[in-house]
Amino acid sequence: MPEQWTVTLRIYRQKTNEPSRYDTFTLEVNPDEYILDAIERVWAFHDRSLCFRHACHHSTCGACGMRVNGVEKLTCITTIRSVARPNAVLTIEPLRNFPIISDLVVDMGELYRKMEAVEARAVLPITEAEIEKPPHQWKTEDSQYVRLSDCLECGLCISACPVAATSQPYLGPAPLAAAQDHRLDRRPDLLTLIDSEHGVWRCHSAFECTAVCPSFVDPGRRIMDLRKQTISAKIRHFFGK
Amino acid sequence: MSKPHVVIIGAGFTGVAIAHDLALRGCEVTVIERGDICNGTSGRTHGLLHSGGRYAVKDKESAIECIEENKILRRIVPQVIEPNGGLFIALDDSDLSYAEQFIAGCEECGIPLEELTPQQALKIEPNLNPRLLSAFLIPDGTFDPLRLALAFAATAKHNGARFRTYAEVEGLLLDGQGNVTGVRILDRTTNERLELHAEVVVNATGAWAGKITAMAGLDAPVRPTPGIMVAYDQRLIQRAVNRLNEPGDGDIVLPQRRMVVVGTTSFDAENVDYIPVVEEQVKLMLERGSQLIPAIRNAQPRGIYMASRPLVGSGSGRSMARTFKCFDHKETHNIEGLVTITGGKATTMRMMAEKTADVVCAKLGISTPCTTRDIPLLSYRQYYTVPNQEKHYA
Amino acid sequence: MNNQPAPQRLLSWFNPLGRNPGSWAFILNRLTGLGLTMYLFLHLMVLGRLAQGPEAYEEFLALTKSPLIKLGELLVIGAVIYHGLNGLRVVLTSFGLGVRRQVQMFYLSVLLALVGTAIFAFRMFAG
Ligand SMILES: Cc1cc2nc3c(=O)[nH]c(=O)nc-3n(C[C@H](O)[C@H](O)[C@H](O)COP(=O)(O)OP(=O)(O)OC[C@H]3O[C@@H](n4cnc5c(N)ncnc54)[C@H](O)[C@@H]3O)c2cc1C
Ligand code: SF4
Ligand code: FES
Repeated sequence: MPEQWTVTLRIYRQKTNEPSRYDTFTLEVNPDEYILDAIERVWAFHDRSLCFRHACHHSTCGACGMRVNGVEKLTCITTIRSVARPNAVLTIEPLRNFPIISDLVVDMGELYRKMEAVEARAVLPITEAEIEKPPHQWKTEDSQYVRLSDCLECGLCISACPVAATSQPYLGPAPLAAAQDHRLDRRPDLLTLIDSEHGVWRCHSAFECTAVCPSFVDPGRRIMDLRKQTISAKIRHFFGK
Repeated sequence: MSKPHVVIIGAGFTGVAIAHDLALRGCEVTVIERGDICNGTSGRTHGLLHSGGRYAVKDKESAIECIEENKILRRIVPQVIEPNGGLFIALDDSDLSYAEQFIAGCEECGIPLEELTPQQALKIEPNLNPRLLSAFLIPDGTFDPLRLALAFAATAKHNGARFRTYAEVEGLLLDGQGNVTGVRILDRTTNERLELHAEVVVNATGAWAGKITAMAGLDAPVRPTPGIMVAYDQRLIQRAVNRLNEPGDGDIVLPQRRMVVVGTTSFDAENVDYIPVVEEQVKLMLERGSQLIPAIRNAQPRGIYMASRPLVGSGSGRSMARTFKCFDHKETHNIEGLVTITGGKATTMRMMAEKTADVVCAKLGISTPCTTRDIPLLSYRQYYTVPNQEKHYA
Repeated sequence: MNNQPAPQRLLSWFNPLGRNPGSWAFILNRLTGLGLTMYLFLHLMVLGRLAQGPEAYEEFLALTKSPLIKLGELLVIGAVIYHGLNGLRVVLTSFGLGVRRQVQMFYLSVLLALVGTAIFAFRMFAG
């Protein structure tokens, strides 16, 4: 028999033209279940009006980002055990810094517009994808293989970023990380956007993006590297290269 | 002149591909989905862009569909695909004896195939079971499920299709003769109910197709057959790895971002709104998966999930054909206005849509041919950035 | 929460719930920044008193002897040190230096600010 816990989900609810509220649902769970499973059960067996977004259930699509007890989580890979104890109350809220569509669903159009603006790569050669421990040394013929990029475009970093909270036009962590991945020496055309008022200099080093990113992007470090790239690009520019 | 209005229920792979096809053929299209795109089975697909190898021996019809569509999808949506090929590996004598039929089947279905020695296979995939006896390279691939659907939806939206997500179909509008003239929907974001009229309603709800046909008093031979997938937190391979044998449990391992995903199983289920994870099946995936890639034993599970195939016809589980069926209920039950499409696979989504759109267009007297096989899809991100056309409910 | 008016979003700067040390650095940076700006205004106002003649100024100097004001001064000193050091941390990381050590740099800034304030406090009260 798997372990059984009782936990209470306190879920943020918001329907168009209605005031927001929190609803609570007490469930029997297996602590090794994912939070998304518990939420899906609330929809399936307790309240059919609950809106939430999900698709892949294994951290590849970026649809299931929510705030669990105030911290951004990809709920499909966050086990209940990792954030709660038996009889705990888990507060589930939508991501911040995006308009709410309904309940736990937010409109991420703005993030996708910005990802398009920097032409973020959706797939890239495996030899360029950073993998800490590559399965073996890359050979030249491996460069023909590509893989999906690390960034899931889940928006957790945007929700956690204190600068994005008050500056909507700020490009934000994921798009800046995508620009860093291009490298400005390969894509000098991106310099204007990156070096603009809402670009790379806007970051104020809270590093929350890196703390919440579920997919090894490490946007904080990439933003810092992008600053270096920006400075070199400007120096090159200055010398007319 | 007003375009005929078609309502599509369900925004899984099937629904979005039909929306794309019909929008190109000049229909006014509205997609109604109770969750978001890929809310159902499609989001939780394993993610293998089939080359057809898996079906080349027992289900040649599916195998041929797969290899053709595999080539088309690689061309029209490279943005969501890891096109790195796949291996079929033999680990024991029974696998080896399957090889002969496999080679013959692949040849018959036009699936390109290259035999590798164990050394060659281990050179390109060092994490394979070193005891492998033989290997075949075939043009498998993997895809990101949500983004595959979004790319179709983005292009459909660009061409005028409207998407109403978080809207649940609660009933069908029927005329006096039982013909379908539209749908009754609940907007889940506002809790408002409304009616939507349509010349044709397309039921693309996959494993839930029987629930919709029941609203018109009809039955559909859909058999929900769920399966499990377990994602582990290390990318141990760069291409799909299949067991060289008849399709069985846990015999495919796929790379996906920094993970490998082992799948799957096949069993019957009644309620598919929530399919609980079965502990024994998780163990089975580890056991079977690590036969192919032993290093999986050192990895940690990162996501465990279930999804339900919408299989059609009689028989059960693995023995059922993986092909699809499109029912014009005028022909099956003498009910006008409703078309049901179900079965199939992600890999064959475009072809399923083509066949369904052919049926819908014939009903509407539209003779424009299908063009989807040659039209590159827009960036999946444009699904979110292109606004819905101004709301219009006929 | 999301569609909320700007003032509430501003408050989210200072909400440390569930946040990491980097956010504390950010919060302290904003607080000290705002505090120092306010202090600058105060300072200018006080200087403005010089123009109102010696009495007004003497009266003010007497006020500065009060322990409350002294405490305020210590706060200003702490804020200056922290804000300056964290500024250095931001500059360094911007050049890609010590990005992986940013948390330690933050703790160091706080530590140095506390030590600095303590030294001043010692000299102010004991010296
Ligand atoms: C375990 C497993 C592994 C698989 N692996 C692969 C693979 O590797 N490769 C491959 O090519 N294929 C694979 N498949 C097959 C493929 O995933 C499915 O064939 C495909 O996803 C079916 O898509 P669909 O659009 O028909 O159904 P669904 O994706 O289920 O779409 C139906 C939609 O209808 C919606 N809906 C239901 N009722 C209503 C209502 N009343 N009102 C409004 N909306 C409603 C649902 O929310 C849902 O989004 C796999 C399937 C399973 C189960
Ligand atoms: S950078 Fe990380 S947190 Fe931000 S969108 Fe990409 S995957 Fe999500
Ligand atoms: S559901 Fe796809 S990332 Fe969580």
